[in-house]
Amino acid sequence: MIKIQKKNFNLENEINLIKLKHSNIGAISTFIGYVRNYNNRQKVIAINLEVYQDMAYKSLEKICSKAHQSWNLIDTLIIHRFGTLNINEKIVLVATFAMHRNDSFEACNFIMDFLKKEAPFWKKEFYNHNYKWLKNTNQKY
Amino acid sequence: MIVKYFAWLKNITNIEEETISDQSVIDIKTLKKFLTVKYPKLKKYINKNDIVRVAINLEYVTGNKIIKSNDEIALFPPVSGG
Repeated sequence: MIKIQKKNFNLENEINLIKLKHSNIGAISTFIGYVRNYNNRQKVIAINLEVYQDMAYKSLEKICSKAHQSWNLIDTLIIHRFGTLNINEKIVLVATFAMHRNDSFEACNFIMDFLKKEAPFWKKEFYNHNYKWLKNTNQKY
Repeated sequence: MIVKYFAWLKNITNIEEETISDQSVIDIKTLKKFLTVKYPKLKKYINKNDIVRVAINLEYVTGNKIIKSNDEIALFPPVSGG
């Protein structure tokens, strides 16, 4: 399941929505990205996330499908927020559901790596007196 | 075709999207040429793949590709989600 939304989410509720559907899940791996208070040697006030929503859904669906082909997964969940987010707020959740931990660990890492390199989201970081559009490292061209 | 702009590219174009129906625009190369005339400030960025990426119909493209009149083109900088 892929959700691109402005509103916050509750981790346990989101996980349980999927967990309760599958009694064969034995391992769940999660990655949560947060807005941190310091970056580029400056105090961060907030961020604004922009998204190309249609392309983001399509590319994230594609990567979940690739993850299902490469690992023995029961389900996947990605939630990515957009709009203005303050310090300590959640930005993204990637959760992978499997029978065994190696599949969930590795697939979670794979999806997150892809998301950082390819998913069309852009972060604008606000400091006290200026702002900067960020760029993730290790991108392919 | 519809052309969409994201992140700081919108600061140059001052619009989020537009419809371009100029007959000279038949592929990515001619689209970029057209846009640099319309938005001269784009010129120093638009041909650098590590600064401006291009998608046609929600898929990344590299190099020159033919564009059809009903295509959706997007121009944007490298991503920074997550």
